[in-house]
Amino acid sequence: MNIHTYEKLWLVAAMVLIVGFIATITYGSVGLGITMVGDQQDTVEPTELDDERFSDPRVAQVGENEYEAYVTAQMFSFQPDPIEVPEDSEVTFYVTSRDVIHSFSLVGTNVNTMVIPGEVAEMTVEFDEPDEYGVVCNEYCGPNHHNMEGMVYVVPEDEFDLTELDAEAPGEVETGDDIDVTATVENRLLDPIETTVTLEIGNETVSEDVTIDGGETDETTFTVDSAQLGEGDHEWTVTVDDHTDSWTVTVADELEDDDADDDADEESNENTDAGDDADDGENGTEDETDTDETESDASGGDGE
Amino acid sequence: MRISKGALLIVIAFIAPLIVELRTVLAWVNVELTVLESVVLGIGLIGVILVWALWPQSQSNGTESAETK
Amino acid sequence: MTNTYIESFPAEAKVVRAAFYSSFLALAIGGLFGIIQTLHRTGYYRFMDSADYYTVLTAHGVLLAITFTIFFLVGVFTWATTTSLDRPVEDIRFTWAWYGLMVVGTVLTAIPIFAGFTDSEMSASVLFTFYAPLQGHPLFYFGLVLFVVGTWLAGVDWFRSWWAWKQEHPDKRIPLPTFMVLTTTLMWYIATLGVAAAILLFLLPWSLGLVESVNPLLTRTLFWFFGHPVVYFWLMPAYMMWYVMLPKISGGKLFSDPLARVVFVLFLILSVPTGIHHQYLDPGIAEGFKFIAMTNTMFLLLPSLLTAFTVVASMEHGARQRGGTGYLGWLKALPWRDPVFAGMALAGLMFAAAGFSGMINAGMNINYLVHNTFWVVGHFHLTVGTAVALTFMAVTYWFLPQVTGKALWNRSVALGQVVLWFVGMTFMSNAMHRGGLLGIPRRTAEPQYDGFEFEAAVGSVGELDAQIALGGALLTLSLVLFFANVVGTALNSRSDDLPANEYADTLSGPSDAPLVLDNLKLWTAIAIVLVIFAYSFPLLSIIERGGLFGPELTELPVHIGLGLEYLWATTISTVTTASETVVALGAEVNW
Ligand code: HEM
Ligand SMILES: [Cu+2]
Ligand SMILES: [Cu+2]
Repeated sequence: MNIHTYEKLWLVAAMVLIVGFIATITYGSVGLGITMVGDQQDTVEPTELDDERFSDPRVAQVGENEYEAYVTAQMFSFQPDPIEVPEDSEVTFYVTSRDVIHSFSLVGTNVNTMVIPGEVAEMTVEFDEPDEYGVVCNEYCGPNHHNMEGMVYVVPEDEFDLTELDAEAPGEVETGDDIDVTATVENRLLDPIETTVTLEIGNETVSEDVTIDGGETDETTFTVDSAQLGEGDHEWTVTVDDHTDSWTVTVADELEDDDADDDADEESNENTDAGDDADDGENGTEDETDTDETESDASGGDGE
Repeated sequence: MRISKGALLIVIAFIAPLIVELRTVLAWVNVELTVLESVVLGIGLIGVILVWALWPQSQSNGTESAETK
Repeated sequence: MTNTYIESFPAEAKVVRAAFYSSFLALAIGGLFGIIQTLHRTGYYRFMDSADYYTVLTAHGVLLAITFTIFFLVGVFTWATTTSLDRPVEDIRFTWAWYGLMVVGTVLTAIPIFAGFTDSEMSASVLFTFYAPLQGHPLFYFGLVLFVVGTWLAGVDWFRSWWAWKQEHPDKRIPLPTFMVLTTTLMWYIATLGVAAAILLFLLPWSLGLVESVNPLLTRTLFWFFGHPVVYFWLMPAYMMWYVMLPKISGGKLFSDPLARVVFVLFLILSVPTGIHHQYLDPGIAEGFKFIAMTNTMFLLLPSLLTAFTVVASMEHGARQRGGTGYLGWLKALPWRDPVFAGMALAGLMFAAAGFSGMINAGMNINYLVHNTFWVVGHFHLTVGTAVALTFMAVTYWFLPQVTGKALWNRSVALGQVVLWFVGMTFMSNAMHRGGLLGIPRRTAEPQYDGFEFEAAVGSVGELDAQIALGGALLTLSLVLFFANVVGTALNSRSDDLPANEYADTLSGPSDAPLVLDNLKLWTAIAIVLVIFAYSFPLLSIIERGGLFGPELTELPVHIGLGLEYLWATTISTVTTASETVVALGAEVNW
C-alpha cells in the first residue's frame, strides 16, 4: 500500500496519542488506586431489601474515621435524606434501588453512580472539609424524576453524632397518677458519648447526664406527678443534643375506656406503614422498651 | 473585497465559538468576562474583520497577494 | 442535457426521495420538540406539565436519533450503491418493501409515544434508551423491531446489487462508495443483534405479560451493545459524504482511496466491542470489562483521526486546484459560498470539537464527573446533532436537485442555514457542556432543586440557560430555513441545467489498496471474534449474577391488562393506515 509520508507521520502521531491516553487513564485509575463502581457487591432482591443494610437505610460507623452509608433510591426520593457524615472521614456508600434505574450523584463531584435494581453500587469517598452537597438522580426514572433530590451534609467533627432518640409516654393519665416519660437513646458511634437528656413538660424542665458506650442504648425514665400539671393537655419534649421527640399527654379526672384511646390524632412514626404503634421494632432498635404503659402508646418516634 | 462574501460570512460566524470559548478558557485562569463585555468584544472583532475585508484595495493589490503567499 | 441521478435511475430516485422526505418529516417534528425542551428546561416557557416533558423527550430522541438519521442514510446508501456500481437495484419492489416496512415500524413506534400526550392508557415515555423496568406499550417495541428489520432488508438490497455486479465484473475492486455501504451494513447487522435480543427475548414478551420480569442490567447492556455502534451507523454515512463528496465540491480529489477503506474496516471491527463505555458507572459489571471497553474505544479514535487528515488534505488539494496558494492561504480559495461545502466543512470542524469532549467521556475515571450530566447532551449535539445532522442537511442541497430534477430553491438561504446551525450549536452546546460540569443533570424537566443550587464558576446558571435558549432559537430558525428550501425546491419546476451525478475521484486509487481490504468475510469474522471477546464474559457474568429474567420487580402501573388481542387489533388497524400512507406517499412522489 502506498502511504504518503505525511499520512504516515499522522498515523504514528495518532497511535502515540491513543496509547498515551490509555496509559494516563490506566495510571489514573490503577496507579492512584481509585476504584470504580464494579461488581464487588452481591445482588439483592429489589422488592424486599430485607438485609441488614437496606432494611434500615442509614449511616453506620465501622472504624475510627470510617463510615458506611446504606442508601436506597426509589421513585422519587433517596433514603436516608439528608445523609450526615463527619469531616475527615472515609465513607463507603452502598446504593441500591427499590424500583427502576436511578442514579445517586453528588452535584459537581465525581461521586456518581447508576443505581440499578438488583445491584448494589459501592463507592468510597473521602470527605475532608465540612461542606454540603446536593444529590440528584440523573437518570430518568418516571414522571417526577426532576423532583428526586437529596442532601449530603459533611459536618464538623464535634457536631456529628449517630444518636437515635425515641421517647415514649402514656397519652392519657388520671389526675394523681405518675407520668413516666422514657427516653431511649442509642449511641451508634463506636466511641462513648457524654450527653444530657432533657425533658420539658408544662413549665418544668428536668435533665439527666448520661454516658453511653459505643453501640449501646440507654434508657432514662423521668417521672412526673400529673397532679402538679393539672387537668388538660400538656406538651412534652425530650431533647438530646439536637434531637428532639415530643408529644402530648392528657391529664383527666376520669379515664375513658381503655381500648378507645388509641387516639386518631396521634403522630405516626416515619418508618412505619402509617401505624402509630412503634412497638414492633421495625427499625432495628435492638432494645425494645416494653414498659408498662401498654394502654396508650403515644410515642412519637422521630428521633431526628 | 479581500475575500469572497461567502468566506466573509464564515469568518464572521467563527467569532461565535471564538468568543464563547475564549470566555470559557479565560475563566480557568480567573479572568471573568461578563456577557456584555463578551458581546462588545465580539461586535468589535466583527467590525475589525469587516473593515479588513471591505477596505478598498486601490493600491494594495501588491500587499494582498503578498499576504496570501 | 444533464446527467442527474433522476435521469439515470428514475425509479431509484423516487425511493431515495421518499426516504429523504420521511427523514425530513422526522427532523421537523423532532426539531420542534427540541426547542420545546430547551424552553421548558431553562424555564423560559413552560406550557405543558413537566411529566409530559419526558414524552416530548422520548419523541425527540427517537425521531431524531433513529428516524431522521436512518431514513436519510438509507437514501444515501441506495444512491451510493446504484451510482458507484452504475446499475439499478435488482428489484425495485423489494426496495419499496423495505422502505415501507421502515415507515410502518416508525408509525407503530410513534403511536404509543404520542399517545402519551393523551389520556389514553397507552404510552411509551421511556426515552429512546427504554431502560427496563420502565415499560412502554408493546407497540413501541414492536414498531422498533419492524423498523430495524426494514433496515436489514435494505442491507440485503445493497448486497444483492453488489453480488450481481460482481458476477459481471469479477476482477474489479469494489467501488469505494459501495465498499463503505457494505462495511457499514455489516457493522449494523452485528450491532443490531443486541437490541434485537433485548426486545425480542425480553422486553416485548415482558410488556405483553408473557414473562414476569427482566434483568434490568442485562437489557441495558444489550441496549448499549447496539447503542454505541448506532452512533457509527449515523456517522459513517457522514464520513462517506466527507470522503466522496467534499473533495469533489472543493474542486479536487480524494487524497487516498486505500486509507478510506482502512478507516471503514476499522469501524467495522471496532464499533461494537466498545458499548460498555456507556456503563462505566453501572454496578454489576466488573472493572476489568469496563477497562477493555475503554481500550477499544480509544483505538476507535484512530479511524476518526485518519479521517480528519484525509478530509483536510483533500480539501487542500481541491483549493490548490482552484488556484489557492500559501501556507494557510489556500483556505480562501475554498468554495465557501457553496452551502454544500460550507455546511460539511463546518460540520467537520464541530466534530473535531466533539472529539475533545468525547475523549473526556471515554476516560473511565473522568467519566464519573460528567456521566449523565448536561455535558453529555452538549457532546452528542456536536456529534449526531451537528457532524451528522449538518452534513446531512448540507448534502441535501446537492441531493435534492439530483433526486427531484429541480434546481435548489435558494442557495443563499441554504448558506445562511448552515451557518446559523453552526452558530446556534456553538451557543447551545458550549453552555450544555459547562452546565454539565456544574452537575446539572440531563433528561430532567426542571433542573432546579429545592435543597441546593448549582454553583457556576463563571457567570451564573441563569446565564447558561440564556445561552442555551439563544442557541436553541437559532437552531430552530435554521431548521425553518432548511424546510423552506426543501419545500421551495419541491415546488420548483424541472430544470435542465443541473450538475451531473458524480462523486470524487481519488489521487491514490483502489489499485494501491491491498486486495485483502476488500475481503469482507475476513473483516466480519474478526469483528465477530472481537465482539465475542468483549461481550461474552460480561454477559455471562450479568446473567449469572442477576438471572436471565432478573429479580422480581415492582409492578409499574403502565397500561396493565393489555393483552395480545389488543396488540393485534391495533397492529391491524395501524398497518392498514400506514400502508395507505405509504401508497399515498408513493403516489405523491410520482408527480
Ligand atoms: C433545534 C434543534 C435542537 C434543539 C433545540 C435540541 C435540544 C435538545 C435538548 C435541550 C435536549 C436535552 C433534554 C434533556 O436532557 O433534558 C436534547 C436531547 C437530545 N437531542 Fe436534541 N436538540 C436539537 C436537535 C437535535 C438533533 C438534530 C439531534 C440528532 C440528530 C438531536 C438529538 C438528541 C438526542 C438523541 C437527545 C437525547 C434524548 C434523551 O436523553 O433521551 N437533537 N435536545
Ligand atoms: Cu430519576
Ligand atoms: Cu459510545
